[in-house]
Amino acid sequence: MSHDVSVRVKDLTKRFGEFVAVHDVSFEVRKGEIFGYLGANGAGKSTTIRMLCGLLSVSSGSAEVAGVDVVHRPNAVRRAIGYMSQKFSLYLDLTVADNLEFFGGAYDLFGRTFRERRDAVMGELALETLSDELTGSLPGGLRQRLALACALLHEPEVVFLDEPTAGVDPGARRNFWRLIRRLADEGTTIFVTTHYMDEAEYCDRVGLMVAGELAALDTPERLKRNFVPGRMYEVHGADVGEVQKAAKDLGLLGIEPFGAILHVRVAENGPDAQALRRELSRRGARVTSVSDAEITLEDVFLRVVGGAAKASNASEEARTT
Amino acid sequence: MRRFFRRTKAIAHKEVLHIVRDARAVYLALGLPVVMLMLFGYGISQDVDHIPLAIVDQDRTPASRHLSTSLVAAGDFVREADLVSPDDVEAAFRRGSVKAVLVIPFGYQRNLARGAASQAQLLVDGSDGTTATIAMGDAAGIAQATASGRAVRASLSAGPRVRVRFNPAMVSTYNMVSGVIVLILSMVASLLTALTVSREWERGSMEQLFATPVTRAEIIIGKLIPYAGLGFVQTLLVLTLGSYMFELPIRGSLVTLFTCSTLFLLAMLGMGLLASVIAKSQLVAVQFAMLLSYMPVAMLSGFMFPIENMPWWLQGLSMAVPGRYYLTALRGVLLKGNGLHVVLGNVVALVIFAAAVLALAVRRFHRRLM
Repeated sequence: MSHDVSVRVKDLTKRFGEFVAVHDVSFEVRKGEIFGYLGANGAGKSTTIRMLCGLLSVSSGSAEVAGVDVVHRPNAVRRAIGYMSQKFSLYLDLTVADNLEFFGGAYDLFGRTFRERRDAVMGELALETLSDELTGSLPGGLRQRLALACALLHEPEVVFLDEPTAGVDPGARRNFWRLIRRLADEGTTIFVTTHYMDEAEYCDRVGLMVAGELAALDTPERLKRNFVPGRMYEVHGADVGEVQKAAKDLGLLGIEPFGAILHVRVAENGPDAQALRRELSRRGARVTSVSDAEITLEDVFLRVVGGAAKASNASEEARTT
Repeated sequence: MRRFFRRTKAIAHKEVLHIVRDARAVYLALGLPVVMLMLFGYGISQDVDHIPLAIVDQDRTPASRHLSTSLVAAGDFVREADLVSPDDVEAAFRRGSVKAVLVIPFGYQRNLARGAASQAQLLVDGSDGTTATIAMGDAAGIAQATASGRAVRASLSAGPRVRVRFNPAMVSTYNMVSGVIVLILSMVASLLTALTVSREWERGSMEQLFATPVTRAEIIIGKLIPYAGLGFVQTLLVLTLGSYMFELPIRGSLVTLFTCSTLFLLAMLGMGLLASVIAKSQLVAVQFAMLLSYMPVAMLSGFMFPIENMPWWLQGLSMAVPGRYYLTALRGVLLKGNGLHVVLGNVVALVIFAAAVLALAVRRFHRRLM
């Protein structure tokens, strides 16, 4: 295994009876990379992580984490990885210091080695003042930071974070991702799952899981360019149905209802906002405004997942592709 | 090996913190034994006394009066009423005002003087079975003593002379205290263990633990040590309280006592572990633990119901109840001063049981995640 690859997965498959939770997944994660795993609930994200952490047996395929063959030696990988499970699973009735001490002990850190590492992670994650607080009394954001601290005590090569920011407020989430970026810059490999699309933008590369398969894998930029080419506009109209009807014969790349507005995508050399508004009005749609919009990973996700993620049949009809 | 000890210690230390921080656990562990001991020791006494008694004295002689007064003087009966005729007995029983009626017929003194069989009759309300049995036993003893004291010395009536060894006063509290030890250990040990392990499953921290280098054996041993310690404290507590409050004798060696207690504790901890491994939630695990440990101990150990009186199939079932062996050994050591060689059979049974339950729990524990 070359030194700059932390995770190498080939044809990884997990079956639960008849059900295939993860199907023939292959990828590599470089050392110091933030690798995001994006997908709906039940798409196989957690299952993949748990296999890579040696918590679930592998049905077929191969997986190497930090140079350890996880398929054949699932227990050997533990020393090299940090794992933060989906559910917050520190002990709420223990203080911050107690939790750190316990997980230090679980990772064979004792005495001075432990104290040095504890002080280091507490400093890094700004937890110094919370030593004697009961974990249960901390707000979500701080709990996540403590959980991360516990997962980092033993200086793992790879850190697996399974939906680390679920239920954490936006400010704390941003903070958390700043920490993740710093960790990665220091050389720790981060493997993170999320279903927050905006969070996936922080990742170096993003893998899209759909129904157990890795449907796409690339940097956020390239994913957008490949799956959602062109430019995006936000169209505000009094009546979404009316605008949809009017836009139908305009030869646009995509029209997606987005609440009370429409996301309209045109080719790179297509009409600008002003022109689009004119055209729509000419076709009888009451359009209040048209403005530029970012193409997001959410658009990518919807494209990749296809019709399954979309609720309304109207959008199905409106699709011009 | 050093790592094994340190990681086990880390788990045990964490577990101690859980116990100390949880008022419920502390109450359960230390309050409950005291409450149960009080309840069983003072409240639920199997010694029957103050039985309301009515007397129908048709003889009206010194001998008949002596019989009725000595029956009351013994302390088991309280003279509640005097009835004129045996025909009133039925009504008195139905009202529930008396539980026993002594009927002394005409000619009681005369028969006694002649050395012939003199028959006084004790009628007992059988709707309360326990009281009835004990009342009859007590009365028979008293009547015999009174009669022989008066005149029957000559006849030297044959029949067994009963002498009760080890607990001559037949104090039921002794049985109670030893029974409470068995109940408490089975209940608290299995309950708390079931709770602590199933809580980790339920909260997801077990998975977090599995992602660390900690092994399953370390988790199990680390978790069991504090609860075993707690069990020791409970045993000591109940024994101390028992000997101070109820004058429970401790005639055997404490080493034997604690050897048996440790083995029984291990079996019960294993039961709790097994329950929590089988059940996925705390609630179900607790019910499982009660079903696996507490109920059989309460019903089939011989604490509440003598094993000898059970139908054959229940007797067979009781062989699978570790509380049975522990209770037998405990009573032997406490009341008879039995040494290890006497209770060896029970000890061996406990060893087998503890080993089997723990092995099964560990096996099931292994399988859970994959």
